[in-house]
Formats: sequence, C-alpha cells, structure tokens
Amino acid sequence: MSHATRVGVRPRPPQIEGPRPAAKRARRRESTFGYLMISLAVLFVTVFTVVPILASLGLSFTSWDVISSPSWVGLDNYRRLVTDGQVLASFGVTVGLALAIVVLQISLGLLLAVLANARRRNATRVFFRTSFYLPLLASTAAVSIFMGYIFDTKFGLVNYYLNELGLPGAHWLDDPFWAKVTIVMVVVWQQVGFTFVLFVAALMAVPVDVQEAASIDGAGPWRTLFQIKVPLISPTILFATVIAMINAMQLFDQPFIMTKGGPGTATTTATISLYQAGFQNLQFGFASAIAILLLIIIGIITGIQFLAARKLVFYA
Amino acid sequence: MANRFQRPIDRRTLLAFGGAGLALASTASLAACANRGGGGTGTVKMLYFGEQSAATAVQEAVQPRLAQLDGTASLRVTAVNGTDWNDFLAKVLTQVASGDVPDIITVATEGQQLLTSKGLLTPLDDLVTANLSDLHAYFSGVHPALVESAMYEGHLYALPDSFNAGSMFYSTDLFAEAGLSRPAADWSMDDFHASAQSLARLGGGTYAFDWVVRLWGSWTSFLAANGGNLLEEGRYAGGDWLWKGAAFSDNPVGVAGRTGGWKWGDPTANSAAAVEALQYVIDLQESGASPSPDVGGGNTLQGLFASGRIGMTIGGGFWAGGLHNAGMADGSFDVVQFPAWRTSTSLFGASGYGIFDSSPHKDLAFEVVKLMVQPEAFDALWPGNITTPAQRSLMTAERYSTTGPEHWSVFYDQLDGAVPISAPPYYNALATALNQRTTQAVSSGNAKDALDGLQADIEAAAAQAS
Repeated sequence: MSHATRVGVRPRPPQIEGPRPAAKRARRRESTFGYLMISLAVLFVTVFTVVPILASLGLSFTSWDVISSPSWVGLDNYRRLVTDGQVLASFGVTVGLALAIVVLQISLGLLLAVLANARRRNATRVFFRTSFYLPLLASTAAVSIFMGYIFDTKFGLVNYYLNELGLPGAHWLDDPFWAKVTIVMVVVWQQVGFTFVLFVAALMAVPVDVQEAASIDGAGPWRTLFQIKVPLISPTILFATVIAMINAMQLFDQPFIMTKGGPGTATTTATISLYQAGFQNLQFGFASAIAILLLIIIGIITGIQFLAARKLVFYA
Repeated sequence: MANRFQRPIDRRTLLAFGGAGLALASTASLAACANRGGGGTGTVKMLYFGEQSAATAVQEAVQPRLAQLDGTASLRVTAVNGTDWNDFLAKVLTQVASGDVPDIITVATEGQQLLTSKGLLTPLDDLVTANLSDLHAYFSGVHPALVESAMYEGHLYALPDSFNAGSMFYSTDLFAEAGLSRPAADWSMDDFHASAQSLARLGGGTYAFDWVVRLWGSWTSFLAANGGNLLEEGRYAGGDWLWKGAAFSDNPVGVAGRTGGWKWGDPTANSAAAVEALQYVIDLQESGASPSPDVGGGNTLQGLFASGRIGMTIGGGFWAGGLHNAGMADGSFDVVQFPAWRTSTSLFGASGYGIFDSSPHKDLAFEVVKLMVQPEAFDALWPGNITTPAQRSLMTAERYSTTGPEHWSVFYDQLDGAVPISAPPYYNALATALNQRTTQAVSSGNAKDALDGLQADIEAAAAQAS
C-alpha cells in the first residue's frame, strides 16, 4: 500500500487507457481494408440492381418507345395498369402458378430429402443428390423446348405412353387448365433439386443426440420428422420458401417457350406481360410500371413470409 | 512445405492492384466509347437477320468490291439471330435504344412501317434516282409488288432482295398413299377440303393439314383467300416518281395501279370472312384432320412434315431449303398455289435493305445496298434456298435441282394477286394479340368470340400507337 493511500488521500479513479496510436492505426487500416473488400460488391449491386430499379421507376412515369425520347406522363401508366384487364389477369396467373410451384417445390424437396437421408449407404445418398440436382444445371430454355415436344398433344411422348396404357391423353399445352398444370410440373421438376439439396444439408445438421433422445422417448419416424427435424430446419425452410417464391413470381422462360403465354392468355405471367409491353409493343414506360408493381408485390409477399416466420420458424 | 499464402496482401499492394484495375477498366470504357462512334470513318455497319457465318461470308464477298469504290471504306456485317422477324426486330430496337445504331439493316415487311413511321429509315428516292443506271438490271428483274411493299407514304425505304409467298406444300408420298394426284394450279377450297378428307382417312399418326400460329402463312392465308384481312386495305398516294420513271419502263403492265405503298386502316378482324376462315381450320382440327397448330417459328411443323406425318401445310420458298435440310429427299414433297376461296388472293412478306436515317455514310451505305441486291450476293446471304429471290432471273431449275420441289416456279407465280401481310406501324402489338387470340380460339373452338377480342385488342393497339 502506498503512502498516499495510507494517509487518507482519495485515490484517483483508474484511467481507462485509450488505444495506443499504433493500435488505432491498425484498426483504421483494418476497417479501410474491410470497406475496400465490400466496395466491389456494393458497386456491383448499385450498378446492376439499385440503378436499374431507380431507372425503371423513373421510366414508369414516362412514355417511351425506345426510338423517340421519353416523355413525362405522370401516373398514366399506373392508371392504365389498374384498368388493363389482361395485365391484371397476368398477375393473377403469376400468383396462382407461384403458389402451386412453391408448395410443391418445398413439400416435394423435403420429402425427397428425407427419403435420401434415410438411405444408409453414402453412395446411394450421393446418387439421389446428384440425380435430383441435375435438372437444375440444365438450360431452362433447352428444357422448355424439350418439354414442349414431350407434352405435345398429338405427337408427344406423354400422350403416346398414356395411350399405350389405354388411358386418354390430355391437351397438355392446348387447354387453359392443363397448360398451367404442365408449366407447374416442368418448373417443379427442374427446380426441386434446389430445395432438395438445401434440405438434405439441413437434415444432416440436425444433432444426432436430439434424434436419439426423441427415439428413446418413443417418438416414431413421422413424429421425429414433424416435431424434431422440421422445427430444427425451419430457418432453411423459410430461406427456401422465400427464394422459391421470388423465383416463381418472375416465371418467364417455361411459359414463354412452351406455350407463348397461351392458350389465349392462360399462362401469360406478369413477366411475359412486361416483355410484351416493352420488347414487343415498345411501351417501355408501361412495361416499367408492370415491373414496379411486380417488385412491390414480391416485396409484400416476402414481407408476409418473414412476418409468418416469426411464429413458425424456430431458431435454436 | 512453404505456405504460399502466408504473406498477407498489404494495403499498398491492394491499392496498387485496384488502381491498375481501374485504369484498365477506364481504358476499356474509352475503347468502347470509340467504337460506339461508328467504328471509324468509312466503316459501314450492317445488321443482318441470320447466322453469323452467312454475315461473315457476305462481308468477305462485298468488302473487296466496296474497297474498289472507296479505298478507305470497310463493311462490318453483324448477324442477329431470332426465331422470326418479330424477334429480330425486338433485338434491333433494343440495340438502337442502347445508342448503337447501324447504317444498314435487313428489313422485312413485318417491321418496315414500324421503323419508317418512327423516322428511323431514310427514304431512298433520291439515291435510287441518282443510281438508276446501276440498278437497271435489278428493277428489270424484281416483281413490282415487292417494291411497292417497301414503300410508305409515297417513298421507297428498302430494296427487297427476297420474299416468301404462302403457297401450299404437300407430301407426295402421302398424296400417293391417299390416291390423290397433284392439285391443279387453280384448285379451290372445295378441292382442298376433299384432299384433306382423303388424307385424314389414312390414319396411322398422320394428319391432313397443319399450320403455325403467326401472321404470315397461318389461318390468315385462308382469310386472304376468303376475301378478308385483319385490317382495311388502302394505298398511299404517290410513288409515280418510281412507277412512271425509267426504273420500270420495260414493265408497264406490272406497275399498272401501283401506288405509294400499303396503308393499313381500321381493324376488320371479326369480319364474317375472318370468322369463317378461322373456324374452318378449327373445324379441321376438331374433325381430327389437323393437329394443334405450332406456336412459334414453325420448327415443330417442319419436323413433322419432314418425317411424313403431315399431308399439306402453308409454306414459301424458304421451305425448299428447310425441308431439304431436315432430310427430305427431292421428290418427296412439292408445292402448289394456295387454293382459291372467294378470291385467289394470297399473302407474301418481303425482305430487303434499308438505310438508317442517322447513318453518317448514306452514300456509301447505298453503294453497299446496291451490291447486296446483285445476284451474286444472294447466294452468299441466303445459301441453300432458305428464302425466295426477289429477282425472277434467279429463279432457275438449277437453283432448285438439289433441294426441289419440282414445281419451284410456283413460288414466284404466287406473287401475282398476292398482298403483303398487314403489318402497320403497330405490327408488334398486332402480332402479339393475333397469337393470343388464335390460341384462344383453337383452345375454345369458338372463332367468333376470340376474333371479337382480337378486334378490340387491335383497336386498342392502334389507339395506343396514334
């Protein structure tokens, strides 16, 4: 004990020492390096996402045929949008197809992942993983052309084999109802590999001891799946659902190539309407308004998904 | 083993690399800006609808001849691929929007009034008048109907080098199997229907007739033969500078009644003639004589016809090469004029070369256009009978000796009495609506309702365009 303390002099509060100049420099250098590292990504997102969205928003208040200069029309494109029955119907078609695709893609992906994970042999699991993921690697355009031939009413393989089995064929691409069903089947067939791989990885990460504990407590396979595994992988399910929904809302390739949006406008999605307005009818202002409305709808749906996730998703 | 990644990248090195990258990017941007300016003085840029190999062949063929005219001039032909003229046009317009405007473009009937009405193409009147001596052979050989289709409001905007008129192709094998002989040149719709019924009785996965959903060579060919059209047919005044001048002085009969171009008026898409024509092909399908029509470029139909499963279909000269390339032997298919209904009118679409109004090298560009419509250029541009030459002198037996068909002269004869497809300045919107409403009609079996919808769609498109 020092003399000063001993005679009752109040001790000075301990001073918090600030970083030494060298440490300060190191930290600054580190943060500069960090900003530098993310700057390319920020630049990329700004140039290829933010600026086009803002440009599209600006264009949506103009009339622009590509050739002449854009002219300001205020809210005319939006007024037209809310009164254009065909375009509004295309949003209805989009939402309907997207819901069907997402529900099937998630449930089928989960089912396949569970089945693949149940295989004991690693080689079998790898085989299934590869098989289900392969369609995702194929070009969507090529798949759509190919599927167009397969589902052709008169000359397609599907109807041929149905007839061989004594079953009547269907107007897969010529009937408004069946055309939608066919589009959904083709999209789900190609995209299910994405959710499948996510779910396989998530299921493999479920702790074995938790599963064993459930088993000791008498839980069967189904109960273990729905009350242990699914809650534990619910963050992955949320992620897959959000991504699948965003993709499905932008559905274009398959209906454009397989049915050209037909018959009539039965499979004309919002993005096909957008393409037709912009690149076929040269109404880029109106097409931009469609794009903005689609962006808003996707934002709302994604927001709803995250709100629902607060109650449904379990973060361990 | 030494750790090759041990040494961290320090800030100085990173900044140095970043600076070098930015410098490179700036250099590239400057180079790109320089290219956008036109590729240097004397470079004529041309957009061509087709394969790059053909574009390069044309460039290599024309370049030396261009160099003879101007030692500093060069030609750059860029191919733009597309499923049809719609697709090509959309891509060209997107390129124009980006500021990369070519000097010359291959322009078809589908997009000509659109480009012209927007002021993108320059009138060729003065250039043609000043170069009549060089173009004498061209105008002597080209069908006046094709040139008239390239006129708009009295001015000429393109020199056509090719066309396709909708004739009726038939499978000689299936005709023989059904006991049918070659139809007469003046056959009627009754004859066509009787042939279709005979072919339909063959069964075995074959069909009497098939068609494609589009403006050219679709149910619209039946509409034209039935005396109708999607739009009111009119003509622009003018054009006498061409028709009554020296260009066609040796063809007074052919130019009689020619005007300043086709003027498309109010929609008539739900006329009685239209309903009857569309319902006819729907009924053919419902009776089992025809499969669902092909939607798109017609590749499926070509494959089906080439594999001997379709008895008859609408096609132009381009199908000679198409079927040959699809493996059909000469003699296994032939062509006959489109059957007459209430009229013997048929449809055609032409393709040629126009010059962009913004081109800084219009005179040089026209020299290139003159070379492009020379007979020698045709085979380089369109090898293997993938279209029909606009100049009759190029229609020879030798040309069709490798591909067929036997009655190749039908392709050109079909032009007599033919009208161009109705492609107004709002063509793209019309084509979109036509495709939608046609598939709706086929799906529902009700032509009238679909065509009432088409009428409303075209009225709306016309109103938007105006």
